[in-house]
Parts: sequence; C-alpha cells; structure tokens
Amino acid sequence: MSLSLAWIEWRRLMRTPFAWGTLALCLCLLSWQFLGTLESFSGMQTAHRELGLSHHLSLQLYGLAAVLILLITPILTARLFSETFRNGSYALLSSAPLSNLSILTGKFIAVVGYLSMLVLIPLLLCLTLSSGTDLDLGLLLAATLGLLLLSGTFTGIGLYFSALSENPGIAAAASYGMLMLLSLLDQHTQASSFIHWLAWPSHYLDLQLGLVRLSDIAYFLLLTLFFLGLALHRLDRRRRG
Amino acid sequence: MLNLLTTNQLSRSFHQEQIVQPLDLQLSRGDILGLLGPNGAGKSTIMRMICGDLAPSSGDVEICGFDLLEQPQQAKRNIGYLPERPPLHPDQTVDEFLTDCAYLHGLKRAQIGEARSMAKTHCGLEQSGRRLIRKLSKGYQQRVGLAQAIIHDPQLLILDEPSDGLDPGQIRQLRELIKALAADKAVILSSHILSEIQATCNRVVILQQGKTVYNGDITPTEQTCYRLGLEQNPLESEIAALPAIATAEQLHTDYFLITLEPGYRPNECLEQLLGRGWQVCELSPASRSLEQLFLQATTGGLQ
Repeated sequence: MSLSLAWIEWRRLMRTPFAWGTLALCLCLLSWQFLGTLESFSGMQTAHRELGLSHHLSLQLYGLAAVLILLITPILTARLFSETFRNGSYALLSSAPLSNLSILTGKFIAVVGYLSMLVLIPLLLCLTLSSGTDLDLGLLLAATLGLLLLSGTFTGIGLYFSALSENPGIAAAASYGMLMLLSLLDQHTQASSFIHWLAWPSHYLDLQLGLVRLSDIAYFLLLTLFFLGLALHRLDRRRRG
Repeated sequence: MLNLLTTNQLSRSFHQEQIVQPLDLQLSRGDILGLLGPNGAGKSTIMRMICGDLAPSSGDVEICGFDLLEQPQQAKRNIGYLPERPPLHPDQTVDEFLTDCAYLHGLKRAQIGEARSMAKTHCGLEQSGRRLIRKLSKGYQQRVGLAQAIIHDPQLLILDEPSDGLDPGQIRQLRELIKALAADKAVILSSHILSEIQATCNRVVILQQGKTVYNGDITPTEQTCYRLGLEQNPLESEIAALPAIATAEQLHTDYFLITLEPGYRPNECLEQLLGRGWQVCELSPASRSLEQLFLQATTGGLQ
C-alpha cells in the first residue's frame, strides 16, 4: 500500500507546475555550472591541475546540486502533511486501510522519487563527456549516492516538520532552520566532535571525493530514520489527540 | 445476522474532559442511524473514532467482525467516510481524484473503471469527470466527497453533515441515494436538520454534551403516544397523576400528548379520565415527532 500511495503522491506532485518548473530551473543552473567547470578546467595549465576533471565536476556540480536540493526539499515536503491537515484531506488517508507507517513511507518514497530525477541530472551531464574523455565513473557514482542519501535525509527532516504543523509556511521555515543548522554545525571550530559529526557537509564531501565509507552512509541513514521516527511518533500522537 | 458495526463502551477524553461518554451501538444491514445533538455534543468525534481517524480513550469498535484497533486495515476496508469538510484535492479532476481514492482503498486496476463509473452515476457526476474539483460548485464538491466514500463499495458508510451545501432538490436526491445504498449497508449520518434525519433514518442517537440521552428508533414503539383533547383545561401534573398515564405534555391549550403506563390500554385510560369528571373530546394515537424527541432528550425529559 505504501507503493500505491507513493505512486499517487508522486503523480499528484508531477501534475503541479512547481515540480516541472523546479526541474527545468535545476537543469539550467546545473548545465551552467557544468559548462563553467569545463571552461575553467580547460583553461587551467596542466601543471596547476591538482585534481582531475571528475573531481572538479564532483565538487562543483554536485556541490551546487546539494544546495539546490536543500532549497527545494522543504517546499516540497511542507505541503505533504501540513496542507492536508489544514484542508481536511488527511481524513482520506487516515480512514483508508493504511497504517501511519505506510502513509509516511509512501510520502517519503514519492518525494525521494521526485528528487532522484534531480539527482540524476549531474550524472547525465557528466556522462555526456564519456565519449571524449576518461571519467572516473566510480567517483561520480559515489557522489550520486551521496546526493541520493542527502535527498533522503532532507526529506525526512521536511516530513517531520510538515507533520508537526498545520501551516505549510511554518513547516517550511522550520525545515530550513534545521537544515541550515545541520549545514553550519561544523563551522564552529571549538564545538565537540559529536557536534561536528552532526553536520552533513563533511559526510557529503567524503562521498564527493569518492570515499564511500560505511560511517558516512550510516550517518545519512540514521539521521533519516531518526526524523522519520519522530514524524511517525507525531502522526500517532495526532491520532491519539 | 452479523453486526456491521459494534461499539462497546466507546468513549473519548481530551485534557481530562470527557467529550464522548461510553457509547454502545450495534448496526446491521439496512440500518440508517442518525446522530443528533447540539454543536459540540460529540457527533463528529464519534464518527472520527469509528472510522479510525481518532483513537478512542477506551472501548472497542468492531466493523464487520474486525476489531478496529487489532485489525485496522481489514476493518477500514469496509468503511466509507465523508467528513464534515469533504477531503478533496482541488487541483485534480474528478476522475483523477476518484481513481486515487480507489487505489487507496486497495481496488485493483481492472476494477477501478467500473467502480468509478458506479460512484459517479450514484452521485450524479457522469458529466463532471474531466472537470477540476476546485471549479465545481459546493454542492458538486459534496457529491465528489460522497463518491469517494462509496467508490470501494463499503459495508459501513459514515457521513458527517452530508447535506451541507446542497440545495433542496439535491438534498432529496441524497436522501434517496442514502436509502438505496442502505439496502445492503449500514449508514451513520449526522445532521443539524431534524427533518432530514426523520426522513432518512430509522434509528437515532441523541447526544447532549457527549452523553447519549436517547438511543433507539425514531418513533419509539414501546411507548405509543396519544393525543388527548379535553373540554376542561387541567394541569399536566393532574393528568399524569392518573394511574394509566405515564407522562402528559400540553401541546396546545386544549390538547395534550400522553403516554400510557406499561400494561394499560387506551380504554382503561379513557375510563379514568371520565372518572375524574373530565369531558374527553379526542383520544387518538399520535406519533411523537423527532423534534419533540430531541427537545425532550436534550432538556432532560428522556434520560
């Protein structure tokens, strides 16, 4: 049933101009970044090239993609629960033969399914070069995996705040606040190692550099499950009144 | 016969305040139960608990033999729910929305086309399939809400204020539809319109501040009412003091609505009235109107 709901939610999302507009905008911005990276790389003297083209693409193109996903996800997720609570359409799901877990999973898969299309854009752009140059495909796949894990984590955070409020605006603002906090935690040099560990950029950077470490994958999965667990708890609390 | 709905001591509290006091209900096929009560009496809360949208504080709900808490998915497959505000997605067309609802209730792809056509036909939406929901009038949106509640052919239909926003003609159509659907289902509906409940339902639960003050047939058969006309104008208490008469209520200067004590027949009542020296000009059976029932129940006369 989760997959049925995911399909319904994804289709509903894809009927909105926002979804197509965002995809188009992201394609433009990422293509621009892709061309800019190629131009700066080809203009560089060979002696000054400390990193290969794949690394340059992975850092710059996938870096921009991560920022775009950070900006888009709260807007996508905010309406998924908040708006349905507010306009009463949540009753459609709560009276259907679906558990709260199925509802949450369905919505999560729908958003990650949409973001996966965005995640594939940098990879497809890079693959256009594969006929003319030797790309480190493993590195690009690691960065793609990082971007996918990041999408899942951001979606989990967004769904939690969406389940928390009946106002989509507040839900989106709270999600942005949490994502910004998790982005900037490692900027504070005096903070404890645990605080540093909580920040996502360092974990994502490892994957951008091609280091697929279990600890980084576990970080994203744990954070995703933590926020999904909180969202599930919130949905159960709501049902109990 | 299998009960389609059984509630056992179903209650709900919120912040230590009991919003719904323990409620026992049994509904079978063909039952149309009306929930009546002033605003805030707990009608919508009861409906939300029965459809699984809100967990009860205590008590059980069983739908078609499935416990709502133990086997929620099996139980919910048999429920069609139309909340007070229809749960619609305004940016979808009617067909898209109903297709999604059918998937949500577990219908297979091959069944969906027929189920959607059936629901649209029942609700008079045959010509509206391609229209955006937000462009429909309030009455038509209500019809779409009803269509989503019946698309999976549920055994128990729960309708919260279904006639809200409909014009008199549509209300009459809705009444006929509910009666037609109730032939092989049980229906619960709430409404503020007493005549609506009277015209549609065969049972009624009257609620007052969460407490069930009446639960039974719309016209109680065990207590037949009589319309009594007298030449004199005695007090209600004087009439009720007669051994054969249980209650007396003055409807008009010359008319009373009386109920008899169990075991007494009208001729015995007549003898006692004449024995008091009163001149009886009328003693005829009268059905108690729902309005009287409602007012009596909510003002404490039918505890």
